[in-house]
Amino acid sequence: MTNLDIIMVIVRVSISAFVPLCFLAVCVTMERRVAGFIQDRSGPNRAGICGIRAGGLVQNLADGLKLAFKEDIISEHVEHKFLYVLAPIISMAAAIISFALVPFADTLVLDGKSYVMQGIPWDTGILWFLAITGFSVYGIILAGWSSTNKYSLLGALRSASQVISYEIPMGLAVISLLIVYGSINLSDIARFQGQTWLGFIPMWGILLQPLAAVIFIVAAFAECNRTPFDLAEGESELVAGFHLEYSAMKFAVFFMGEYVAMFASSAVIVTLFFGGYNIPFFDTDFLIRNIKPVAFVLLVILPVFMFYFAKWIRRNNRSQYLRENDPRKAEATIYIRCFWILIAIIEVFLLAILAFAQPDTAAAHLLVALMQICTFLIKVTLMLFVYVWVRWTIPRFRYDQLQMLGWQKLLPLALLNIFVTGAIVVALG
Amino acid sequence: MYIDTLFSIFALIAIAGSLGLVLFRHPMQSALCLAVTMISLAGIYALLSAKLIFLLQLIVYAGAVMAMIVFIIMFLNLREKDLPEERERFTYLIGGAVLLIPVAWFMIKVMKSIPGVKNSIVGNGFGSIKELGQVLFTNWLVPFEIISLLLLVTLVGAVVLAGIRRESND
Repeated sequence: MTNLDIIMVIVRVSISAFVPLCFLAVCVTMERRVAGFIQDRSGPNRAGICGIRAGGLVQNLADGLKLAFKEDIISEHVEHKFLYVLAPIISMAAAIISFALVPFADTLVLDGKSYVMQGIPWDTGILWFLAITGFSVYGIILAGWSSTNKYSLLGALRSASQVISYEIPMGLAVISLLIVYGSINLSDIARFQGQTWLGFIPMWGILLQPLAAVIFIVAAFAECNRTPFDLAEGESELVAGFHLEYSAMKFAVFFMGEYVAMFASSAVIVTLFFGGYNIPFFDTDFLIRNIKPVAFVLLVILPVFMFYFAKWIRRNNRSQYLRENDPRKAEATIYIRCFWILIAIIEVFLLAILAFAQPDTAAAHLLVALMQICTFLIKVTLMLFVYVWVRWTIPRFRYDQLQMLGWQKLLPLALLNIFVTGAIVVALG
Repeated sequence: MYIDTLFSIFALIAIAGSLGLVLFRHPMQSALCLAVTMISLAGIYALLSAKLIFLLQLIVYAGAVMAMIVFIIMFLNLREKDLPEERERFTYLIGGAVLLIPVAWFMIKVMKSIPGVKNSIVGNGFGSIKELGQVLFTNWLVPFEIISLLLLVTLVGAVVLAGIRRESND
């Protein structure tokens, strides 16, 4: 192994392990702000460090610190303390590992060697995701059972049976996708979606397999225990469900595990149905061959985008009433300056590429990989927004309705989809 | 070699898990020990370059079957007082061990007669999904199709039966 190999291993593993954790902050903030927007209120906007509130991001820090320093209580009536402590660890670990095989950029070629941009460079793709999400059931069951509490037990029963039963339509939806893509390797699937049909329609999974997309997304919502399938928590009837007895950081680990699982499943949805890391209409080869025009376009677009972004920050960051020397306006100025400095640094790099880089060199490959990572993260953020949007829009199902939907609607639909897809693929040869 | 070390680790965890399965009193702990054994067996399959078997072991045995068993044990909600008293536990344990000695002796003899092969990673896509699929869909097509049909019938049958029972209850 050369030094480059070791560096690439470290880079890939840290991206696949730490990006979900960093997105926790994005998810939680987005959840609260969007909830505030939908319910016509502000959401968290008070916690700040020296007046810097970062649009509610600092609230996460405050909550995290609060949870970390809270007293960690394990009730006397908990008989199996080891399993009680193990449960949050399992659900968090399973959530992080399930992201390991999702590609976040096209295969990177450096010095004639190619590096598959996944945490674990395996070709078993979607099966790994299905295997690891299966493990998250253990966390739920152990938490509910070892809490020795009727509400927790009921929550765990509901949640576990829901996760187990929605795994089946999810797996069947994946089968019809695999017939179309002809591979279970998520990198191959993402590359397939980089093609265009008739020259202008991207061959995304959602266009090729709309039914499978609907089934998979619904099942993914249920697997994450998100509304409208969050009967496991059901505050009005079960208080909080399986994590009722957990306090302080143990609860926080459950909470974080839920959001990391949400990130991982939206990453998989994006990879399967929305083109993965592909920038629409531009495949990797095209970008690498035309690196100079691409760098030039970025060079022009970024300041324009930043100009409107700064306007947006100004518009949203001011007090609701007239104040002398409005501190929120000063705050907005600081944000805008920070972002301009960031843009300036990126512009310098882009200028360097524009001046010196030749097509098909390491710099070109790296720039394209970075652009693809950004595209992937933007798509995942949009999918996360859909999760949040659905949560604050659609009310909860009744439990029997939920099981009926899984077994009597999604399962036959998924089977039908497999037959129809198979027939069409055979007919087209 | 690190493959040998990994093999010993997985084997030791698997044996520890199966010991736990027998020795723990509470069924939940026993079931979790069995899950640990299943996962470490999956690790051994991965060492044998059998990627698909590794994943199927994780999905089917460690994921689905064990989760089902753990779920049912949770459903029963057994407490310490519900468990039967096992007074002559050690008598049975020793008796069983004595009875197993000839079997163990035979197994050790069989193991020793197997020629030793060096552990190494097999190349050429051995055990990968594509190669396994090609073998399944050419040499073993009919049994494969029959088994998959059988499983599908079971799945649909379970859904239909559950539907019928609920209607008659109404």
